[in-house]
Amino acid sequence: MHTIFVKSEEEEYQCREDQHLLVAMKAVGKSCIPSGCHGGGCGVCKVRILAGDVERKVMSRKHVSEEEQQQGISLACRVFPRSTVTLEIYESTTHQ
Amino acid sequence: MSVMRLGHINVRVLDIEEAVDHYVNVNGMIQTHVDPLGNVYLKCWDEWDKYSVVLSPSDQAGMNHIAYKVKSDADLDMYKTRITEAGIDVEEVPAGTLEFVGRALKFKVPSEHEMYLYAEKEYVGTSVGTTNPDPWPDDLKGVGAHWVDHALLMCPFDPETGVNTVAEVTSFMVDVLDFYLVEQVMVGPDGDIQLATWLSCSNTPHDIAFVGGPVSGLHHLAYFLDSWNDVLKAADIMSKKRVKIDVTPQRHGITRGYTIYYFDPSGNRNETFAGLGYLAQPDRPVTTWTEDQLGAGIFYHTRELVESFTTVYT
Repeated sequence: MHTIFVKSEEEEYQCREDQHLLVAMKAVGKSCIPSGCHGGGCGVCKVRILAGDVERKVMSRKHVSEEEQQQGISLACRVFPRSTVTLEIYESTTHQ
Repeated sequence: MSVMRLGHINVRVLDIEEAVDHYVNVNGMIQTHVDPLGNVYLKCWDEWDKYSVVLSPSDQAGMNHIAYKVKSDADLDMYKTRITEAGIDVEEVPAGTLEFVGRALKFKVPSEHEMYLYAEKEYVGTSVGTTNPDPWPDDLKGVGAHWVDHALLMCPFDPETGVNTVAEVTSFMVDVLDFYLVEQVMVGPDGDIQLATWLSCSNTPHDIAFVGGPVSGLHHLAYFLDSWNDVLKAADIMSKKRVKIDVTPQRHGITRGYTIYYFDPSGNRNETFAGLGYLAQPDRPVTTWTEDQLGAGIFYHTRELVESFTTVYT
């Protein structure tokens, strides 16, 4: 179990290694990260990881470019924590 | 009317193995073919043509194209002329361009979605056959959907700059492809801006629907189930299989359908849809929903529009 700090919202919650960031957040009734399709397709849950180790599953290139991914930008529904993670919301809406 | 029904939808997926597992073991489709490019073709048990969904490996989610089946080959010539006369470029592609499909017309509708019309696709038969059939086959998987029923497409819409491709694509479908308008949502100060439309080419409340949004995309593809009980059981199956549900079992005011919205593993929204609401007919008066009642139109019980309905799509 790892602590997820959502810095921009001043919220935190716990997440297991086999859960992506949104499953654990929704399971405890929080909504500090925008939640959409949970499949890496719609892009609403875009975050910037500021600190911590994570594993990431494949996500839509339409919403996260390779360059962005190298800068720690991810869709939260594709991120599985491997340590305490600090992140901020990258943008609150998709289709921009 | 000679467009008969939704023939197939080609959906992009991020992980083909996860996608096939979802469409087979959650939706209950049967895999019928894999082409050399790795595209996977599937049908539902109650469908008789070779496929109704094509899954294409990609680096993003969304829809590649949607295809409708017309009644006869001669209809393709008629529609080719009419689409051209409407000022839209139409390409005739030879048989086999779409696997197991005869010659087809390829064009972009005003909402930027790619559409095909075709008259022939390889026949393989339903899972219960045509002679003294049982009402359903053994060994159904997942929700055991009967058929792919309709799709809802998101269309560029920005009334402040005068962009309304919902109205444009609706006119195209009605004037050129012989669909008829069944229900609509009208918004704006004077209630004269068409935000959403549901159109039929058959006797069901919708064979395609359009809703306005920031960019063109796929809102959902829907599967037909028999009854409310099937919808409830489908939601149980989705929870057991940890499928992300967007909206739990509920009634739509629009179309009167019983629904679940959920997502495939790449984030493409699916729907299980039951209840044929009413007999749709070309002369049935159009149902209009006003902006202040839009919530009840989409989600009849809560009467509240959830933000994800118009912001989360592929």
